[in-house]
Amino acid sequence: MKTASPNSLIARGLIIVLMIITLLPFLSMLSAALAPQGTYPNGLQWPSDPQWSNFVRAFEVARMDQLLLSSTLIVLGVVPLSVLIATMAGYGLAKLTSNKYKWLYLVFVFGLTLPFEAVITPLYYEVRALGLLNTRFAIILPLIGLYMPFSVYWMRAHFLNVPHDLTEAAQLDGATRWKEFWLVQVPLARPAIMSLTILLFLWTWNQFLLPVVLVQDPMQRTMAGALGAFQGQWGTDIPLLCAGSLLILAPTVALFLVFQRQFVAALMQGAVKG
Amino acid sequence: MSGLTLRSVRKNYGDVPVIKGVDLDIAHGEFVVFVGPSGCGKSTLLRMIAGLEDITSGEVSIGDRVVNDIEPRDRGVAMVFQSYALYPHMSVYDNVGFGLKLAGTPKAIRDAKIRDAAKVLQMEHLLDRRPAQLSGGQRQRVAIGRAIVREPDVFLFDEPLSNLDAALRGDMRMELARLHNDLGATMIYVTHDQIEAMTLADKIVVLDGGVVQQVGSPLELYNNPANLFVAGFIGSPKMNLLELTSRPEGNVSSAELSSALALNRGAWAGASLTLGLRPHDLRVAPNGPLNGQVRLVERLGNETILRVSLADTTEITAVLPGQDEFAIGQIVAFDFKPSSALVFDENGRRLPSPG
Repeated sequence: MKTASPNSLIARGLIIVLMIITLLPFLSMLSAALAPQGTYPNGLQWPSDPQWSNFVRAFEVARMDQLLLSSTLIVLGVVPLSVLIATMAGYGLAKLTSNKYKWLYLVFVFGLTLPFEAVITPLYYEVRALGLLNTRFAIILPLIGLYMPFSVYWMRAHFLNVPHDLTEAAQLDGATRWKEFWLVQVPLARPAIMSLTILLFLWTWNQFLLPVVLVQDPMQRTMAGALGAFQGQWGTDIPLLCAGSLLILAPTVALFLVFQRQFVAALMQGAVKG
Repeated sequence: MSGLTLRSVRKNYGDVPVIKGVDLDIAHGEFVVFVGPSGCGKSTLLRMIAGLEDITSGEVSIGDRVVNDIEPRDRGVAMVFQSYALYPHMSVYDNVGFGLKLAGTPKAIRDAKIRDAAKVLQMEHLLDRRPAQLSGGQRQRVAIGRAIVREPDVFLFDEPLSNLDAALRGDMRMELARLHNDLGATMIYVTHDQIEAMTLADKIVVLDGGVVQQVGSPLELYNNPANLFVAGFIGSPKMNLLELTSRPEGNVSSAELSSALALNRGAWAGASLTLGLRPHDLRVAPNGPLNGQVRLVERLGNETILRVSLADTTEITAVLPGQDEFAIGQIVAFDFKPSSALVFDENGRRLPSPG
């Protein structure tokens, strides 16, 4: 057997320490979630009599099934439309604009520098004026807009790397711009579209601020947003709160496990194209 | 199918003229090669015919139709790119059939045409593969297949062989010649390789600096170059070019020529001229007018190529038949038939041949 060098042993040790530090809060939450109802569990302490039923109760009191549905509806409202618009805009900005219109792209880049929180107050009044307050559209429509700078930037970076010869070949083959886009460019953009979809899904699912500010009814919010209401209502029942939080986390974790490879690829892509 | 006409075609990029007025007639079924050094505008001219570049002024007609403002897809042209430009996400079959699919050709006819093209190009066994699984030569075949199935009026080739290795390039060159014979279609071919131009063309168009230098058959260009540029560009190895001064008594001399040449150039007395000598036209002759020291010997078996440095250190190339032995540093002298020498005036224009 190969013996590891001291350096790699140290490296491994550090990684394990890092993993423990990362996982510790979750473990602590799990141990707390299993504590008997009404107790105040202190940190990491495995309960003598784990109360798995806390999860069932949290599922019921938080009406988790409804929250799942609400979150799914919001994701379905935001992600496909954002990806579609961003793909078309990215293609347009990369391939169809002359130097004269470069500034259009700069407008999107400028959007990247705006912090989410800075627009939340005006957004509130705008959504109210539109009469959309307390509906899921109050989350869906602003999110689509807020995602555009990053998404357009992401897709444009991809389309810039597609050789121009392909466009010309398609044109000579008889394709209109529209057909070229759908039959040549979109299939080639699949990896970029996939990773954008995953990122937007995550960000939407975990969206907290917008739902809390713009939607009163927890049943119309995302799961993460509903957690805010859940905390307000059950803030004194720590085991229940922890069980609820873990349940809310579960779908993202499950999704991550299924799409692990694509997640890593999505992050790597960002690293390379940054 | 039909021919093609260019009338005072110009192209500017901003204020920079790239094509400075080209007139050209290409007959139906002709194989025309645009040749010239990098940046001479040959690819731009081809792309203007394809419709991928705007025409600043002038007229391009395919058949009887002026196509200046017609989209590339409606011009009846097909193009083969240097980079092949195959769609990476489609199989070879779909790549070849993409144009037909867009045109709404019924599936049965489409299938027949794709298979016919594959047969012509001997790539039937490749139809299910993706471009990434093909070698360079195979990809080029697919790109040509994609052009063939559309049955265009005019085929356009933009340096299609320059990404291939030398041996494959030779094979593909022959296949292209065969293809032109079989299809009888009008083909326009851009290359910087004068061997490709000489072997493939019915008609060569030599371009330099956005201006047509000469149009003619390969042998016309070789035997009767209109100017110094064409003389230096066509032929391999390159033509030897020597500076001369014409003497009042009618002979010419130069630093490189050890003895005066009896070229009757009386009319040009005192003018600076350039003498062009093909390497193949030089013969070893002990008392010849050109002599110098051998610098390099390349033995090809059927012929021997000598690089010889003349008295004033200008180097010339001579190609001699057979396998005669030469040593580096040896002194050799050459002569040539006066009729084979070409003379150019100080502006590079060709003067009537001496002899």
